[in-house]
Amino acid sequence: MFFYIDRWYKPGYYNLSGNTTSLVVNVYQEDFISMKGQMKRQLRAVRRSLRNKKLKFVQVVQKGNSVHLSGTADRWEQKVNAGFAAAHKGFKGVVNDIDVRGVVDTEMRLPAVQDSLLEGRSFDAVIVGGGVIGCAVARELSRQNITIALLEKESDLAMQASGRNDGMIHPGFAASPGTLKASYNVRGNRMYTKLAEELGFELKRPGSIILFKSPLMNLLKPIFRRRCRKNGVDGNYRGLSAEEVRKMEPYVTESQKGGFFLPSAGIVSPFRVTIALAENAAQNGAEIFLNTAVTSMDVKNGRISRIQTNRGSLQCGVLINAAGIWGDKLSEMAGDRFFSLHGRKGTDAILDIECSFYQNHILGMPSILGSKKNHSKGGGLVPCVEGNILIGPTSEEVPGREDYSTDSENFRKLLGQLSINQELKPVHIINYYSGVRAASWEEDFIIEPSGKISNLILAAAIQSPGLASAPAIGEDVARMAVESLRVAGVKVIKKKNFNPRRKAIPAVKDLSPEERSALIRKDPAYGEILCRCEEVSRGEIRDALVSSVPASTVDGIKRRVRAGAGRCHGGFCLSRVIMVMAEELGIPITNITRKGGSSRILLHETKENVSDETGI
Amino acid sequence: MKQEYDVVVIGAGPAGLAAAVAASDKGATVCLAEREERMGGILKQCIHDGFGLIRFKEKLTGPEYAWRYENMVKERPVDFLSRTFLTTMKPENGGFDLSFVNPEKGVFSVYAGSLVMAMGCRERTDRQIFLHGERPSGIFTAGQAQDFINLKGYMPGHKCVILGSGDIGLIMARRLTLEGAEVQGVYEIGSEPSGLTRNIVQCLEDYNIPLQLETTVTEIHGYDRLEGVTICRVDKNKIPRRETAVRIDCDCLILSVGLIPENDILKPLSVKMDPVTKGPVVDQNLETSFPGIFSCGNALHVNDLVDYVSESGHLAGERAALYGKKKIQVKRRITLNTAGNIQYAVPQNLTLPAKGTVPLFFRPLRSMGKGVAILKQGERIILKKNLNWLKPSEMNRLPIDLSLIDPDGMTPVFSLENREGVHA
Repeated sequence: MFFYIDRWYKPGYYNLSGNTTSLVVNVYQEDFISMKGQMKRQLRAVRRSLRNKKLKFVQVVQKGNSVHLSGTADRWEQKVNAGFAAAHKGFKGVVNDIDVRGVVDTEMRLPAVQDSLLEGRSFDAVIVGGGVIGCAVARELSRQNITIALLEKESDLAMQASGRNDGMIHPGFAASPGTLKASYNVRGNRMYTKLAEELGFELKRPGSIILFKSPLMNLLKPIFRRRCRKNGVDGNYRGLSAEEVRKMEPYVTESQKGGFFLPSAGIVSPFRVTIALAENAAQNGAEIFLNTAVTSMDVKNGRISRIQTNRGSLQCGVLINAAGIWGDKLSEMAGDRFFSLHGRKGTDAILDIECSFYQNHILGMPSILGSKKNHSKGGGLVPCVEGNILIGPTSEEVPGREDYSTDSENFRKLLGQLSINQELKPVHIINYYSGVRAASWEEDFIIEPSGKISNLILAAAIQSPGLASAPAIGEDVARMAVESLRVAGVKVIKKKNFNPRRKAIPAVKDLSPEERSALIRKDPAYGEILCRCEEVSRGEIRDALVSSVPASTVDGIKRRVRAGAGRCHGGFCLSRVIMVMAEELGIPITNITRKGGSSRILLHETKENVSDETGI
Repeated sequence: MKQEYDVVVIGAGPAGLAAAVAASDKGATVCLAEREERMGGILKQCIHDGFGLIRFKEKLTGPEYAWRYENMVKERPVDFLSRTFLTTMKPENGGFDLSFVNPEKGVFSVYAGSLVMAMGCRERTDRQIFLHGERPSGIFTAGQAQDFINLKGYMPGHKCVILGSGDIGLIMARRLTLEGAEVQGVYEIGSEPSGLTRNIVQCLEDYNIPLQLETTVTEIHGYDRLEGVTICRVDKNKIPRRETAVRIDCDCLILSVGLIPENDILKPLSVKMDPVTKGPVVDQNLETSFPGIFSCGNALHVNDLVDYVSESGHLAGERAALYGKKKIQVKRRITLNTAGNIQYAVPQNLTLPAKGTVPLFFRPLRSMGKGVAILKQGERIILKKNLNWLKPSEMNRLPIDLSLIDPDGMTPVFSLENREGVHA
């Protein structure tokens, strides 16, 4: 294990883990000059590892302190194996440029809009990526008296990995001690309690039980406890006998042979958290630009001098790379590509809320799906904040970085997990979706200032437990950004009027009868239920259209207030939701889209002459 | 002050309207609660005709049929609560405490002596038949498409594929064609269409819309808006045969893949459900396993004719009005067993002793040319009737004289046999 000390950090100052002994940071090439011999040894180790995996076609070169792989593979799996074979051999990063026959590199999907909204503008901090990390950074930075822009290429926030996960706030047990994942996870988990209170999103801590498939696994309990201690996991974590598990979960599979309980495990709605962070940032002055993609950058004297987007070019004091699955490409635009990302797809399914009765805790049975090989914690059954139980996720290496399709084969694998709970059946499924994890070959987060570009900060390769880690990552990345601005001579001081609180849209369903009646008396729109499955009122839908980061699509409404998220899948409420949207936004109903771009719901009025319509 | 009613009817579709009329005519004080603004339920968007042939001996459109019942309700002292949503129901003093919410009154309670549940049904979605691929816009249930075209006046697509041959899907195939859209075809995974024969003829054959059986959609294409679907032939076990996969370009996929009775509100009261009908188990009075809760219409089981829906609404309303008023002597509650080619029969139970004639609704499991329906108690035949051309897609109705059932006798069995195989 290498412990690199980077000159940007003063150990202890950043308190990365709340546990200074596991501080892991990186060094750059100049510090390595005396280590040339070591580099050669590392290269040899990479080549040996590739040979052992029968991947002789791979060419290996060292560039900077990264190892670059190239060549042509027959199958995607070979490229993946090569990437992992080269990781953890002492290099800072693995850049895997192996081509795969028949597979075209995915192009980033770009927004259709072209205008000059941002032309000539300048911000102290520009955050690229409106996922949970970007939004957490934006909120932290909005405590300072600086100008902030957050750029998101999709039509809404949390459209990719941040909105396509299981919503679990992991306890911090799964990641190996000493990794950034372990330290950020534990710290982030702890921060969620206050964050939920300030931002008005729902957080529950049902705790998770890792179920043992074999009685032999009971021998692992001391090892599990030791790992918890090392990672600093909160709560009274402990081993459970099969009997105790059954008492806590009466419907659990008969095949469980005991388990390990992690009470600090929590759940949130991941897109609501992301939107809440962004809305609070916006309330405190940050500007959020949707449908805005970075297309290139100008770099001068080791600094990003200009950023080109589809909405004009702008300048920044510091740029934060929170671009998710495109993080490596964004770093490449800035000329500092020392790692590469690969997509790992996961599919989740949601069960009807009527199943909420059958489970109290998060349950996982690692050996059902997971193995060391597929780099996943194995998935399981997660009771969501709304009460539905979620199954998932699966784990599959995929070439498509934005391929969110589902397929029957992976879905079948996913259904296997239903067996953890005796009462759950495929017929209870009301929805399913896929997400793509932004995995690096090293399988750890990259959270650091760039070694090459003085005004670039990286929050890259964030995959699970990224959601759990987000508040802590946001704090550290914001500090790094402030430091970078200060070094460049910007005077950064804390805002006096920063408001950490955000007023959430009232969920009328959860109010007491008195509160609900009072609200309806003030505004009858809260008394008109438009979505019957989730009991969502017209008032809530209208609020989602006028909040500080408003919804502009049908999916945007669904993510904010749950209209259409229930068992009828919008069968009854879609037409009512789009009527309200058209009315409130003052636009024709035919302009309403499901998720932006050309995803229109309705095409034109009936009896309208369509001869001049393009398309079909 | 909490309002009190003898009978509260939940849902003002055809079943609920009939229940409110019948309960009122029996002298009960009645409240009719509806979550939408207007009465009529799904009939409002069913602008085609063919409704009311049995009930009114006339061919009416859906809105016309609804309008007749709406007037009947208005002529009676029924309190109608529109845009009113039932949030919880709790048993209280032999009746029920209902909590409602609406824009005018906020949250308010109503006491019901008995309840008629007439919530109707919802459509199965693409997610419930496990369609895979991408998730663009342009995928609608047939009911959604019907709402958009008939009530809102907008086109959901130009080049349409219809998956499933349920009645609304067939009707929408015709409707979309009349509105100028191109319907590529109707694809049905089963070996028989699931809609009524008259709809196959009038909606597909008359418009040259192809119906392809044993075929299904296996993949959705298009990121933003639907661009096409892959269709596949299926084998006997309904498993797609990949070698038959063909991609069809389309911008709209309409699903007509089944209806599910909406009874989620009954779940907390542990009302006994029938796994086949997905509605509650009821006796001849349409009373559920929870005393005082009655069920009717499509919430009880999915009907093909609105006339039958109204009939069950009338019965439930009438019996709900009598609930608690007359001391009914109950000797025993028994199950009406089924045998042979029966998919399901409603009512599932009988409360004895009983008199009068009630309709028995049933569907066969498989199609049958010449069948005979027999109701037996032990060796004693209570009813025997020859029936021809039975299909799972077409519901059958048989009146049974309950006074013929011996309250102390064996469990009655209702069966459907092949006529050739049965010797009288």
